[in-house]
Amino acid sequence: MPEEINKSVEARSSAASEPALVHDDTTAKWFLISSIAYFFIVGIIAVTIAAKFVWPSLLGTVQYLTYGRLRPLHVNGMLFGWLLAADMGLSFFMVPRLCAVKLWSEKLGIATAILWNAIILGAVVSLLMGWNQGLEYAELPLPLDIAVVVAWIMFGVNIFMTVASRKYDQMYVSIWYIMGTILWTAFVYLTGNFAVLFATGTNQANLNWMYVHNAVGLIFTPVGLAIAYYFIPKSSNTPLYSHKLSMIGFWSLAFVYVWTGAHHMLHGPISQWLQTISIAFSVMLLIPVWAVVYNFFATMKGQWHQLKDNVPLKFLMSGVVFYLLTCFQGPMHSLRTVNAIVSKTDWIPGHAHMAVLGAFSFFAIAGCYHMIPRVFKTTIFSEALANWSFWFLMFGGLGFFVTLWLGGFWQGWQWNNPSIPFIDTVIALKPVWIVRFFSGILMFLGIVSFGYNIMATILGAKDRPAAA
Amino acid sequence: MQDYVYPSIYFSYFLFALLAGGALYFFLKSLKHGYLSGNTEEPKYRMLHDEEQPEVRK
Repeated sequence: MPEEINKSVEARSSAASEPALVHDDTTAKWFLISSIAYFFIVGIIAVTIAAKFVWPSLLGTVQYLTYGRLRPLHVNGMLFGWLLAADMGLSFFMVPRLCAVKLWSEKLGIATAILWNAIILGAVVSLLMGWNQGLEYAELPLPLDIAVVVAWIMFGVNIFMTVASRKYDQMYVSIWYIMGTILWTAFVYLTGNFAVLFATGTNQANLNWMYVHNAVGLIFTPVGLAIAYYFIPKSSNTPLYSHKLSMIGFWSLAFVYVWTGAHHMLHGPISQWLQTISIAFSVMLLIPVWAVVYNFFATMKGQWHQLKDNVPLKFLMSGVVFYLLTCFQGPMHSLRTVNAIVSKTDWIPGHAHMAVLGAFSFFAIAGCYHMIPRVFKTTIFSEALANWSFWFLMFGGLGFFVTLWLGGFWQGWQWNNPSIPFIDTVIALKPVWIVRFFSGILMFLGIVSFGYNIMATILGAKDRPAAA
Repeated sequence: MQDYVYPSIYFSYFLFALLAGGALYFFLKSLKHGYLSGNTEEPKYRMLHDEEQPEVRK
């Protein structure tokens, strides 16, 4: 594609004619390092929970380590301690570069990172103590919810002020997704953590499921896609297939996602029209998803050979496949007939883990592998260990997802048969949970090798300076 | 006990209307900035060299 090469050369020569902008990246480093530490710590909790499915009495006499205390800690720790913090760190890395300016305020960024860490540590204490609001994904006590809002405003101000001072009018699609994440999170978080406290009954449940679904759909999806849109072209050194198509994907996601939350209450005590709307919009999600996935696959045309020895690209493109799969599952299990089988079964955690771990955590891990050596001006500690971390997470993840999908269908069919006592359906799932546990061990090994590799890269940065 | 169900749902509607208005604003602004013009593909080439961006003088 000679025209593309010409445009790329033009962009490079115009950039090279003036002195290069040096980014501080202190805020990005703070967020990334702390998020990886939480990834490891909460990974231990995840394995403990998986073990409790196989050995239900394990640690059951210690009140702080019961399933009811550990499960919300695992969910909140992975969502807010690891993934959102990593996504924020990567945003602090990407936005100033894409805008060709320095971050608006590193001091404000560092203050945000300190407050965010205080929130996560507060969450660990409060959830282990059992101070829990009892709402899915919104378990944190009210003072911590308020602190999250304050931290998010600090993050949003910093990013928006950086964007406002950008050098170019036209913004790359990743900036659109990051701005969308900031605004949509404000809406989703306020509804899910504050408005929900003043509602009761099915109205409360409806607001809560709007929040739960959009925590993934309007928080982790847009920022995850921002990361994928940035690092896939960067890692493969190939221009994105179509920026126009990426904008169509962005706007269609913006208008479709918010309506889908009520599909968590299909066959429940909410209006049929609301259920039907949520189904229709869930199926319409295929539009933004296919626009995004086609763009990534078309970008990789002629570049697939790079997957052989490019670890960030392995994570990114596997994440894209998982994203496609999870976003095909979502619309399909929103259909009433499928939902009647899989709702509330193990299918759901299988689906959720493929989205949050398989797609968005894979994107964030790829971003870390790409970014950390650059900001510390070094090379990765071990390419081989990075490769191991990929395969551990890939096989562990696949074992986990596939087992829970199959187990979920099996469980759903049993639940739909009134002649089977409930406890028999629990006992029947034990083989599924054993595979889940060992898959969890593999995933944890992936987290350990990833975390160790990154920390060794940082600590040994002076011994391995990057080539000039 | 006072029933806050309707106020809380109206609050959500208000936030939603705010977002819809914001979306419309940014959508119109994006058209003005040429996202659907002949120059729409320019950012994807620029981003590949963002590590070499010139310093912006203010």
